[in-house]
Amino acid sequence: MDLRAGDSWGMLACLCTVLWHLPAVPALNRTGDPGPGPSIQKTYDLTRYLEHQLRSLAGTYLNYLGPPFNEPDFNPPRLGADTLPRATVNLEVWRSLNDKLRLTQNYEAYSHLLCYLRGLNRQAATAELRRSLAHFCTSLQGLLGSIAGVMATLGYPLPQPLPGTEPTWTPGPAHSDFLQKMDDFWLLKELQTWLWRSAKDFNRLKKKMQPPAAAVTLHLEAHGF
Amino acid sequence: NPESPVVHLGSNFTAVCVLKEDCMDYFHVNANFIVWKMSHFTIPKEQYTIINKTAASVTLTDVASLNIQLTCNILTFGQIEQNIYGITLISGLPPEKPKNLNCIVNEGRKMMCYWDPGRETYLETNFTLKSEWATEKFADCKTKRDTPTSCTVDYSPVYFVNMEVWVEAENALGKVTSDHINFDPVDKVKPNAPHNLSVSNSEELSSILKLTWINSNIKNVIRLKYDIQYRTKGASAWSQIPPEDTASTRSSFTVQDLKPFTEYVFRIRCMKEDGKGFWSDWSEEASGITYEDRPSKAPSFWYKIDPSHTHGYRSVQLMWKTLPPFEANGKILGYEVTLTRWKSRLQNYTVNDSKLTVNLTNDRYIATLTARNAVGRSAASVLTIPACDFQASHPVMDLKAFPKDNMLWVEWTTPSKSPNKYILEWCVLSDKSPCIPDWQQEDGTVYRTYIRAPSKGPTVRTKKVGKNEAVLEWDQLPVDVQNGFIRNYTIFYRTNIGNETAVNVDSSHTEYTLSSLTSDTLYMVRMAAYTDEGGKDGPEFTFTTPKFAQGEIEAIVVPVCLAFLLTTLLGVLFCFNKRDLIKKHIWPNVPDPSKSHIAQWSPHTPPRHNFNSKDQMYSDGNFTDVSVVEIEANDKKPFPEDLKSLELFKKEKVSTEGHSSGIGGSSCMSSSRPSISSSDENESAQNTSSTVQYSTVVHSGYRHQVPSVQVFSRSESTQPLLDSEERPEDLQLVDNVDGSDGILPRQQYFKQNCSQHETSPDISHFERSNQVSSVNEEDFIRLKQQQISGISQSCGSGQMKMFQEVSAADAFGPGTEGQGERFKTAEMEAVLDEGMPKSYLPQTVRQGGYMPQ
Repeated sequence: MDLRAGDSWGMLACLCTVLWHLPAVPALNRTGDPGPGPSIQKTYDLTRYLEHQLRSLAGTYLNYLGPPFNEPDFNPPRLGADTLPRATVNLEVWRSLNDKLRLTQNYEAYSHLLCYLRGLNRQAATAELRRSLAHFCTSLQGLLGSIAGVMATLGYPLPQPLPGTEPTWTPGPAHSDFLQKMDDFWLLKELQTWLWRSAKDFNRLKKKMQPPAAAVTLHLEAHGF
Repeated sequence: NPESPVVHLGSNFTAVCVLKEDCMDYFHVNANFIVWKMSHFTIPKEQYTIINKTAASVTLTDVASLNIQLTCNILTFGQIEQNIYGITLISGLPPEKPKNLNCIVNEGRKMMCYWDPGRETYLETNFTLKSEWATEKFADCKTKRDTPTSCTVDYSPVYFVNMEVWVEAENALGKVTSDHINFDPVDKVKPNAPHNLSVSNSEELSSILKLTWINSNIKNVIRLKYDIQYRTKGASAWSQIPPEDTASTRSSFTVQDLKPFTEYVFRIRCMKEDGKGFWSDWSEEASGITYEDRPSKAPSFWYKIDPSHTHGYRSVQLMWKTLPPFEANGKILGYEVTLTRWKSRLQNYTVNDSKLTVNLTNDRYIATLTARNAVGRSAASVLTIPACDFQASHPVMDLKAFPKDNMLWVEWTTPSKSPNKYILEWCVLSDKSPCIPDWQQEDGTVYRTYIRAPSKGPTVRTKKVGKNEAVLEWDQLPVDVQNGFIRNYTIFYRTNIGNETAVNVDSSHTEYTLSSLTSDTLYMVRMAAYTDEGGKDGPEFTFTTPKFAQGEIEAIVVPVCLAFLLTTLLGVLFCFNKRDLIKKHIWPNVPDPSKSHIAQWSPHTPPRHNFNSKDQMYSDGNFTDVSVVEIEANDKKPFPEDLKSLELFKKEKVSTEGHSSGIGGSSCMSSSRPSISSSDENESAQNTSSTVQYSTVVHSGYRHQVPSVQVFSRSESTQPLLDSEERPEDLQLVDNVDGSDGILPRQQYFKQNCSQHETSPDISHFERSNQVSSVNEEDFIRLKQQQISGISQSCGSGQMKMFQEVSAADAFGPGTEGQGERFKTAEMEAVLDEGMPKSYLPQTVRQGGYMPQ
């Protein structure tokens, strides 16, 4: 680009103006409302923390279920676990999700999973396992609250549970003990997958919500011209 | 609650007492009669207010007491004070707003919050910690009575979810809430300390140590930063690794710039990387030693020439100073010395000592010295040993020595041509010791130095303290403070009041025994280290010598106890030995009825006269006639037999309770009388009479008290008699003794008894001679023993068996059911009692009852 002297003076003046006004730019103003960034970061950290918690909890719980559930390559068909929300999704579909849908899916999934998990908690045997499960439930409750918080910050409404679709734990006689265990197995597996996915979701959101300060400056500069 | 109102401390309080109408009439009172009392003290009337006829009030201003008993009383009939009603007034302060609320999450444990409760309220104040998420409330945490300023919630906090926490303080006067704090529990974490800290050195680099540790589990959740501190072993101050070097999660760190061959101690702690939260506790300390490095400096090197020349050779002593640890950088394994003569080949020496004596020609030599440790060699010290005729061209001038700052300084003018180095030589001028030159090396650039005397005295302590001696020990002074060679140590010691005593100790020692100390005394000891230039006192150490040496108390107590035991034992032995004497003095004399008769030999059996003086003594006035008595010639029997017999009595008594006949009354010491049933007497008597020939002696009276006494006859046969055959008679004798007990005067007789017992005739003689000795209680006892136990020796085993049989059948006839056991007892005791007197066979015949003829 060929710049004349006048242009450079003008650019300098403009830059000075921009710098003068920088503190007033909301995205860079640390003293004001921090925006959804920190809470998304926190939610991301929480999913990682839950993932870590679940790793040890699942190990203990599967051992409690006994073989074959605690075998590393045990991969049963997904029988009767259809009510569980699926975390797996086509990559293209996942990429094309908007923030609201992404958050809503997460919120709904964890509401359901938490419900199921509380049923699991009732059945667990040892006191230590019950304690771990209770703490995990509390943490998951915290995650739900965290997601709700992010949604509230971004101005999205919380999804209302449809009457009648509230998932319930049905330890009916229809379930044999083995099938019951199978459901438990799938619940833990699905939770794991969801936590992985959520980590990715929130990482994506985090990146999206924290536009680099340089970009802001550039934008203002262009505006100045 | 009107019965126990709580009021604000310092406020006014008004109480109203209302009288019931009917009571007023009954007692003829009204509100004017009301008297208020506070904790039993009447409140002045001025504070009362009569509201109307039935009610009066009192106002307490500025209530200052915490607990007041306020009562409303009434003067009935104008006189008697009667209590109507009372309340307990409690005063205090409302709680202050709790301040400085904060929480801590100890890793793996529950969250604990603490606060400053403010002023004392004097009332029971409850603190409640409340916590909630934006979406959910948690259970309240109520403080325990003993910890009103902190509370531990009973749930594990969830990291990364902000929570709001506040505390409510409430008592009877009010309720306040602290400021709310909002935080993420992960920012209040105090991690567990890193553990398994270990230190390893590196052979490549002597200046580094590598630390490794294991992080606590929280590293999976948060990122950590560290704080590593180290110090040399023995130092007190910690050095810090720059925090920016350890600002991220890791499990090892290499510390650099350390001194070689030095032991360092490390510790580490961690916290959340962003500095939110709390530092963990320090880990356990771990230490490691840096690897050796080659000596960093060449040793000081000098020589001394022995003045005596021999055939063109001179004896040269090369000497050098050992390197201090910070220059040695490891263990010095040896020194290498090379000597080079002009244009000749090298001579190598390897020395462990710090000197070397060589014979050199008068030529000029160049000596080099290197110190060697496991890693390598130091630089070489080079020393020129000039030829014999060498004259120094640039001598050092104006050498001055002066004391300054507690040191002896030496100053000189540098020669015009700058030298490589200086050697300063000196010695102590003393009347006591000869001048032993010492030296120190100085750099060629200096012109003044000080003589290096120790700057610190050794710290002395006691290794062992005895009653009269103490073993002192101390550590070698570090080279840094030695400032020269320690020539000797001096130990000064004194008591609290006494003079100080000094002892010189060779420098090679690290311990010394102070002897001839006074016991139970406080001693103060200090120590000085001396180089040739002087010394320096170390700190004073006090110790107290014990009152008693180790084992001294035992040495006193044990012999005393032993002596006491021995005395007791000897006393007992003496009692046993002299029991006759004792009996004589204590017990009444028991006359032996048998003494009142004198046995006589049967006419047709010529007696073997073997008179004993004692027997003659018996006869003197005691017996009308004297029987032949044989008493063992060897009547000085050693007392152990007596003892044995006595013991045997005891045993007998114990083991054969059933047939007490022969035992009980026999001892000198005992007054119990043996008795036996006479049912078998006849039979046994007949037995005896049919086989033995007797002579009969008729008694004419014992002294002057005969009539009631049964008359005894005694016979003695020349024929071999069996003990058993005699027994029934003996037993009868016992009966007789029983009967006559207490009637006959026994003084003389007892003497006889006891003396005889004392002399203990060897009874085998009795048997051999078949003569009758005077039979008395003692003899009888002995006989009984004999019958039971002592037979074997005299009669051989065959006889013994027979005796046993007979004795069982005859003597103990009545108790047939116990025979077997008695046999056993008898046998056993026969074995036990080897030294028993042989059987002797006194035969007494009871007049009228039984008279073998």
